[in-house]
Amino acid sequence: MVERLMHLFLAVAIVAPFVCALAVAVSLVLAKNWLSESRVASIIRLGLTISVLGSLASIATYLGAFGIPIRGEIEYGNWLAVGDYEIPLTLLVDPGALVFSLLASVLTLLVARFSRTYLHKEPGFDRFFFLIGIFAAGTQLIAFAGALDLFFAGWELIGISSALFIGFFHERDEPVRSSVRAFATYRLCDMGLLIAIVTVHELLGSTKLSALNSAGSLPVLESSAIAALLLLAAMGKSAQLPFSGWLPRAMEGPTPSSALFYGAVSIHAGLYLLLRVSSVIEVAPYVAALGVVVGVATALYASAVARIHTDAKGALAHATLAQIGLILAEICLGLTTLALVHLSFHAMLRVYQYLRTPNMIHDAHTAGHGHHHSGSGWLTKLAPKTSERVYAAALHRWRLDERIDAAVAPALALARWLDRVDHRVRNSLSLDPRT
Amino acid sequence: MSHGGTESDDPIERAIQRAHLLLPDQGPIGVFVHHNTMHAFQHLPFHEGVQKGAELLGTRPYLDLHEFRAAYERGRIDQYGLDESIGNTLGERAHEVVALGLTRAALWRVLMVHGIDEDALQGLEFARAMGDSSLPSEQLVTDALDRIARAPRHVVTDPVVLLRHRDALVALGVDDPDVAVHAELVRLCSVFLDHGQALSRMPHRDMGFLNAVDRLFETGSSEPRACKGVTADMRRIVESGMSARDVMREALNGLGVHGDDIESFLLSTALALPGWAGMFSRLERHPEEHEGERTVALADLLAVRLVYDRRAAEQVAQKYHLSTDWTVLRARVITKHARDLRQDAWLLASIVHSAHSNGSDSARRIVAMSDAELVAYFAEVDALPRLLRRQVWQEAYESRYRRQILDGIATLRPEIPAPSAARPAGQFVFCIDEREESVRRAIEEQGSQFTTFGVAGFFGVAIDYRGLDDYEAAAYCPVVVTPAHEVVEAPLSKERTWYAQRAGLRSQWNAAARGVHAQSRTLTGGAGISLLLGPIAGLLAAARIVAPRGTLALRDKIGKRFVPRPSTRVLALRDRFPDVAPVGHTPSAKPLGFSLDEATDRVFGLLNNIGLVQTFAPIVVILGHGSTSLNNPHESAHDCGACGGRRGGANARVFVEMANHSEVRAALAKRGLRIPDDTWFVGALHDTADDSVRYSDLELLPEQRSDAFGLAAAVLDRARKLSAAERCRRFDDTPLGIDPESALRHVQGRASHLAQPRPEYGHCTNAIAVVGRRRLTRGLHLDRRPFLISYDPDIDQDEKILERILAAVGPVGAGINLEYYFSSVDNEKYGCGTKLPHNVTGLIGVMAGHQGDLRTGLPLQMVEIHEPMRLLLIVEATPAALLTVAGRQAEVAELVVNEWVQLVSVHPDSGEMQVFRAGAFHSYTPGTQPLHRVKFSPEWHTQGREHLPPALVEAALHG
Repeated sequence: MVERLMHLFLAVAIVAPFVCALAVAVSLVLAKNWLSESRVASIIRLGLTISVLGSLASIATYLGAFGIPIRGEIEYGNWLAVGDYEIPLTLLVDPGALVFSLLASVLTLLVARFSRTYLHKEPGFDRFFFLIGIFAAGTQLIAFAGALDLFFAGWELIGISSALFIGFFHERDEPVRSSVRAFATYRLCDMGLLIAIVTVHELLGSTKLSALNSAGSLPVLESSAIAALLLLAAMGKSAQLPFSGWLPRAMEGPTPSSALFYGAVSIHAGLYLLLRVSSVIEVAPYVAALGVVVGVATALYASAVARIHTDAKGALAHATLAQIGLILAEICLGLTTLALVHLSFHAMLRVYQYLRTPNMIHDAHTAGHGHHHSGSGWLTKLAPKTSERVYAAALHRWRLDERIDAAVAPALALARWLDRVDHRVRNSLSLDPRT
Repeated sequence: MSHGGTESDDPIERAIQRAHLLLPDQGPIGVFVHHNTMHAFQHLPFHEGVQKGAELLGTRPYLDLHEFRAAYERGRIDQYGLDESIGNTLGERAHEVVALGLTRAALWRVLMVHGIDEDALQGLEFARAMGDSSLPSEQLVTDALDRIARAPRHVVTDPVVLLRHRDALVALGVDDPDVAVHAELVRLCSVFLDHGQALSRMPHRDMGFLNAVDRLFETGSSEPRACKGVTADMRRIVESGMSARDVMREALNGLGVHGDDIESFLLSTALALPGWAGMFSRLERHPEEHEGERTVALADLLAVRLVYDRRAAEQVAQKYHLSTDWTVLRARVITKHARDLRQDAWLLASIVHSAHSNGSDSARRIVAMSDAELVAYFAEVDALPRLLRRQVWQEAYESRYRRQILDGIATLRPEIPAPSAARPAGQFVFCIDEREESVRRAIEEQGSQFTTFGVAGFFGVAIDYRGLDDYEAAAYCPVVVTPAHEVVEAPLSKERTWYAQRAGLRSQWNAAARGVHAQSRTLTGGAGISLLLGPIAGLLAAARIVAPRGTLALRDKIGKRFVPRPSTRVLALRDRFPDVAPVGHTPSAKPLGFSLDEATDRVFGLLNNIGLVQTFAPIVVILGHGSTSLNNPHESAHDCGACGGRRGGANARVFVEMANHSEVRAALAKRGLRIPDDTWFVGALHDTADDSVRYSDLELLPEQRSDAFGLAAAVLDRARKLSAAERCRRFDDTPLGIDPESALRHVQGRASHLAQPRPEYGHCTNAIAVVGRRRLTRGLHLDRRPFLISYDPDIDQDEKILERILAAVGPVGAGINLEYYFSSVDNEKYGCGTKLPHNVTGLIGVMAGHQGDLRTGLPLQMVEIHEPMRLLLIVEATPAALLTVAGRQAEVAELVVNEWVQLVSVHPDSGEMQVFRAGAFHSYTPGTQPLHRVKFSPEWHTQGREHLPPALVEAALHG
């Protein structure tokens, strides 16, 4: 009986925002006039509130408020089964999942409340709230997913909504360019997760997170490969080096979405993935070491950039990124509890800071930021020439984007060439004069 | 632009001089001063100026045609106004018959209202297929096409404007070099101009922009991939010590720009990133607005830009095998496209269709057109291009509103009650700001014993003022005035200890706040602060979002309880300072406080300006205004323009301090201005965002005056709530007809909400300025749209007072009005677009997104309900008096003669009205429509959210 309750609560937490987003979308198509701003916002808020309640109820059930405590895997059967490949509908309830679920759902609800006022009269109002609903469903899905394939589904919902938020103001060029770059980075790194899923299924027979505990029994090469693929996925979503270039560009979106995605939830999703698969990282010391290196390097890079950024959102994005790098290092060092606490508290801090970024000038007037330049940093005192060099490099962010562009240029050229060949071949075979 | 000093021989100098004039002239956003966006064109007639400006800047000078047509359809523009406007433009030629049996005026009207000029023919064909009956039939269009194809006519071309390499490259369909160059420049400009937002400073920035940038390359900065060669250039510039001019010359040479091309090429280069270039220009001309010592020079920016531009253009040109030489590259682009004949056919068909609605008849008319008729027709169409159509529409748009207002004033006139001899119970002096109109009306509706006045909100007291908690003194007066006095706010000497303790606490608290802010952005600090303060920040965020008003009120309560502000006085009268603790004051050559004579001058001048020279009430409230809102980089734009984008509370307080002083009163009496001993002045600050009123120095109020003050304060309290309710009707997310108490809570909520992009609508909807006695408009509901300036022509000998008023109010009022005009006709280019993606940068402004241009002007959320019209300046003075003033005040004359404002003279005795147009006053005969009458204002304005015509409010008129 209690188990049935848990089934219900979890399902509600995940599905409610999704259903409400769909309801908004359907009404948009069928009854545009009926759908006022306040209706859209109320529908989505309803979904988000139910999601928060579902999350809270799951915590209560987990703690045993309704009888025996329900913990561990919750089975809903299979999503689909093809031959012996199946995607199990399995959710995993443990402290990590509950913390992340509650954190994400509450912050999303808060930001939605904020946006109700902020986006009043904005032509993209409906779109904004629809995407918030999709995003909320995605985060709840990754929070509770008990199998990598399910996790991937949520992961993709977050990715697509993130890219669409960056390109929210699509009348201008820059948001669209930035959106495409973020999306392309996501897709590149998502390959890591996708290949990891197939590999895990192949090697361990199941994609359940619980199955990953036996990764230690695999040969080092195989477990390291899985760990490396998962790390790649996390690095993209969490903007770790060398994939950090899209993050400042993500500031093109409206401020509340920046707060929710790049201050609070989405940017931490990569870390959360690694927390969920920490058993694989543990048995792959080389990959763990690589993760530490990447994390620390990102932290140093981002804090150098954050120091010199003069725009409120860009500086904050890099300050956030520096902490994400640190948390990545913590996870790879095996400090998972510390990482979870750091992650949650950090998300709360940044949401508040992001939402207040337009207040910079008001704050400067009252607290006198502009009047009291902070002194020069330790580096300037120790090695002024190096400090200048760091400054120059940080100013154009080590030209990360351009380096990536240069790296993928041959692949793109090949693709273009193949496309031309393909076109020509098709033309020569086709009878249709238009092609 | 000939009024920009002497012309230089050097085309580079000429281009820089012109760029200074044309670039946006907006300083760092912390102090926002409204000004005419098109100031550089003010020496030209309005229409010529805005059209010329639009051509140079690639902007829109008026609303769009479809916006005007929509306004016509909903009755906002009427037939009369349109005909009048066409008639004024055509003059004698209006009545000649030109083609299709129509007179020129009739043809123009059809062209204006129905003429199709969509470029997208597919769109039109689709609309017709969907059954849009307002469009001509397919047959008609075919007939028109047949007829036109057989006719002799010249070919109309749509020119493509090519100013720089980038334009040519884009027109040729290859890569846009500006993408890389702008990304680079935006970063460099923002770190160079930073006023303290980043934790680290740009190295070597005291050496100027060009030097700072090339030294970055010297230390090892790398060039972007799209601009190969920049590093080598920059290093060479460091080694050879080239000046900005030399760098420009070399780059222009490299780009193949020579001779006559240089000036326009360089100018358009400066205008390519107008926000940042404008800030360079502004700070070069106003170094006092800049933080730090470094010199800012537009030439430096242009030099750096040209180095990048050159390499980027070369690279693109090379990739696509094009020449970099400007003459050669430009010639590659076909700049003239003949207009599609079908477009002409559609236009002709639509005109015939609307002018002669009978279907078969229309077809016959087209077929029957003679060649001569067709040529005449084309001549007319070409004579009325789109811009001229919009100009005519604009006139019609203004005409309708002008007539409504003038008719309202004329209809009110016979109803004005005779001046009462009874002593008023309270007098209220407001800023001229149109936001105060509703408060004044609400006061007046409470009885004829309450009267109000309007005067520029610095109350004639131009000061450098430093409040108790300010870091430094700032000018509290119109920007064109430089204060000669400094005034400080000092704590009473009995509060000396607490003052010192509180100052210590404050600076510790601020240091802590700054510390958290800065540290949270560092690596270790970020970790520490996340772990220590993360949950607190989360709770704060929740509280501030869920209960914005409650949390701020709580914070203020705690502040008042534990760190109350000490009682203070302002040191307004030199040598007669009250008993205060000494405070450090900024060493300046300016005297601290006014001498007795100077103070008497100020009080005498102000009271004469507003015509308050007899029958003083026991209480005279002087209200400055300001605005507080959160998360709003444009907060200062809502403050008092007459106080230079600051708050007028201090000026009111200083004025009151002087006006209540017994020696000042005695000196005034000697000059014949007797203020009764039982009259007391009270200073206050009205916050136009949350509609709070804060009185100052109430502890000085004499015991015997407390009843009178109680009455006045109660009246003002009710009025501000009524005004809050009236404001609320403009906010779509507030219920119509909200009661005053809820309205007050609502506006408080708006002002304290972190997510509120519209804390108030500011000067939005401003349209009129009335200079005259209040009786001219008292009892008219003017919908918060007029600046109201008190002026009594009866006590003004030789137009001295009028001259003072118009010299101040003309430019300030027109500046506000025109800034709103331009920001609303082209919000993306003259304004700064929607606030939602704005990103505060360098504490000097906002940019859209992560690396964009600095955005100037007003955001969409401030202008979305504005009606762009030139200020209707109504003055209670004879045309002769106005001409005298114009003769003495060049700037006023320029605004009026060039019609950047619409001047109307109302005769002080007869009430006869004369409108100034085309260099002369023209008598205006008011319409005879009776005014709508209501007892109280809310009956009128709770009917909807739209703009309202004037109505007569009986309560305000008869008490």
